[in-house]
Amino acid sequence: MQVAVVGSGLAGFTAYQTLRRKLEPEQIAVYGTDDDPAAMFRRRAAAIRQREMRSESDGHCRPTSFPGLAFRSAVARRSPAPLLGSFCDRYHPTVGEFLAHVERLRAHSGWDRSVRRRRIERIRAVEGGFELDGEGVFRHVLVAPGHPGLNVPEELHGDPRAVHAYEPHEYASTVTVVGAGLAAATEWLNALDAGAEVVSVRRREPERRPLNVPREYFSRRGLAAFHRLGPEERRARLRTLLAASYPPGRAFDEPLAAAEADGRFRVEAAPNGAAQVICATGFRRGFWHDPLLADLVAEHGLGTESEWVLLAPDATVPGLTDETRTLALAGVAAQWSFPAADTLAGAKYVAHAFLRRVEACPTR
Amino acid sequence: MSYTLRGRIESRLAALLPVVAAACVLALAEHRWWPVEAAGLMVGVGLALDLQVYDRLIRYQPGWAALPLGLLELAVVLGLMRAAAVAAPLGQAVGLFGGGWLFAQALGHAGFPLLRLGYAEEGGELGRLGSASAVVLGVLLATAGGTAYALLPPVVHLAAGVHQGPLVITHREVLVGEPGAVVRGGIVVRASGVTVKNVSVVGGENGITVDGVHGTVLDGVSVSGAKLDGIHVRLAGIVIKNCSIDMLGNELGQGIDISYNMGMGMSMIEGCTIMGGMEGITTHSSMSDIVDNHVSRTTLNGISVTEMSMGMVMDNEVRDALGVGIYCNDRSMCMVERNTVVDTHPDVGSGNPSRRGFGVLASFQSEADLWENQLAANPVASGAVTNSEVLKDRSFSYR
Repeated sequence: MQVAVVGSGLAGFTAYQTLRRKLEPEQIAVYGTDDDPAAMFRRRAAAIRQREMRSESDGHCRPTSFPGLAFRSAVARRSPAPLLGSFCDRYHPTVGEFLAHVERLRAHSGWDRSVRRRRIERIRAVEGGFELDGEGVFRHVLVAPGHPGLNVPEELHGDPRAVHAYEPHEYASTVTVVGAGLAAATEWLNALDAGAEVVSVRRREPERRPLNVPREYFSRRGLAAFHRLGPEERRARLRTLLAASYPPGRAFDEPLAAAEADGRFRVEAAPNGAAQVICATGFRRGFWHDPLLADLVAEHGLGTESEWVLLAPDATVPGLTDETRTLALAGVAAQWSFPAADTLAGAKYVAHAFLRRVEACPTR
Repeated sequence: MSYTLRGRIESRLAALLPVVAAACVLALAEHRWWPVEAAGLMVGVGLALDLQVYDRLIRYQPGWAALPLGLLELAVVLGLMRAAAVAAPLGQAVGLFGGGWLFAQALGHAGFPLLRLGYAEEGGELGRLGSASAVVLGVLLATAGGTAYALLPPVVHLAAGVHQGPLVITHREVLVGEPGAVVRGGIVVRASGVTVKNVSVVGGENGITVDGVHGTVLDGVSVSGAKLDGIHVRLAGIVIKNCSIDMLGNELGQGIDISYNMGMGMSMIEGCTIMGGMEGITTHSSMSDIVDNHVSRTTLNGISVTEMSMGMVMDNEVRDALGVGIYCNDRSMCMVERNTVVDTHPDVGSGNPSRRGFGVLASFQSEADLWENQLAANPVASGAVTNSEVLKDRSFSYR
């Protein structure tokens, strides 16, 4: 076996689907702590009561963008509405549709035959590939470690009122939501729906954009210029691009405006005396929060810039990747190559490049 | 999709490849070049817009934008086809474009993403497929263009000076007379697809005879001294323009006589000056448009449309005709618009009341629709005889 995927979440699962175009399940080893690739996503989506995906028709795990979820939904519903919505960028699959899609793929792709329930804590570059924590040497390894834990602001550590948005919770009568991204916006509406009085605490006004980053950064049009930036400029650009945002539209604006008019929603600078503080503050940032990446960087002296590991445009690790072996990062760890790396589109971007490497390797 | 410039161009060329191929097949099937010309314009307009407009202005192109952009391109292509005089049936041209557009949409949304894993993230770039498409498309268009060029009729230059005729043309060709080129004894056209330009003809039974062929164009010819007709056309589709015919002293011939070409499509006589002869221009059992000609000093009719002919007589000037200026006769249907007919003389010697100097006359179950004609100094401005009609109150023009 020559190819390994470290991480059994959605990024690893998406990479697996791409690899399956050329490899059999027995030729791919997937290492992770959960058989269900959507387990973490399912828990988090349930926690914030997310109903629709932020992604669009091509926000799925198949290697090709077609057929997208809009096409499948149109066939299933026998209605052109999803396709028309997709043409106008207004189609968003429901969380249920997405999870069903993952289930179908999981069942048909041989995923369970490839998964080994084992946490990989060490990767070492060796002659002819990479040694995975006693599991053997693999010529091509894709590391998709996922987000390194939930981020709770320091001042709220130990505060009994505080709960992270991605942890299961109900709503008190007065709720402060810290953060300004999509999870925060979703929580504003959830708490208002539950009858709570809501205070939004934010460091800056959120961007309003349909997707996590501007659309041109999902293709070579925006990425080519991004990849040409020097380390400092790229770091600054990433900070700008990854600032909190949520989609524009009436679905958010109308209920918030109505609640504001009723005195049930307001913005404040700091958490007040609310009965509950929900931290919609995303995830911890920085490779050092992930033991596997931290060890990899330390052991092999990999280049870093602030919280990011320096990567080639195809998300491979320079110095450890050549014509005969590949080490690539996927998911949030690949933001240096693809700003929206923690989306399904980002997972596909890395997976496609990884497969090209595997195919090009003369001794795969 | 956020296209890169290269992605736009490669996607477009690959999507147009089958359209150009289909256009070539259509051209072969119809023996007409407009499908290839239209497809070539689609390629050219698309590439120009990609380079100059789309890449600069459109950072991200949602799916719906293909519709207005497609309509814009259709309008530009049709406008250029009109400007370049590409003779395409509008419906078929729109059909070709629409089919190509739909096919491109199917490829862009489904075909290319299935063919190429990273199609979307690579901004529509197709790699080797894109380069290959560009090469094949170029070869196709170059082959079609080369074939079109090779099939152009040969151009034969007739040197200045007098050439003894009759000159009989038996192959498709373009005969171009140098200034001062004269054919004495007439020209006979016996092949289809012949064009005669800028040639003077003196004498001959007929000045120019065209019989049983199609696609003849006479452009800028002059005829004088013909014994019978100046230009004599039988069973032939023809375009005659900018001609000059001198029939003075010829009491039997017609300046231009087009007869029995009802099944040959519409013939055209435009911008000619004809003096003398029995009739300046006459059509028998024909479909012809007679436009912007100057006819004078005829001894029977200035212009006659007769024997179940149909057509427009428009913007002509008829002067000094004897008997009748414009004659619509024998179950013909004539649209007579914006002509000037002046100084028609009564044919007293004939003793025929229908030749008493009509500006326009409809005769024997014919119908002439008159609109905005200038009929002055004629003994009778217009009239109808033997179950015919002259209609003057039309609320529209055929123009």
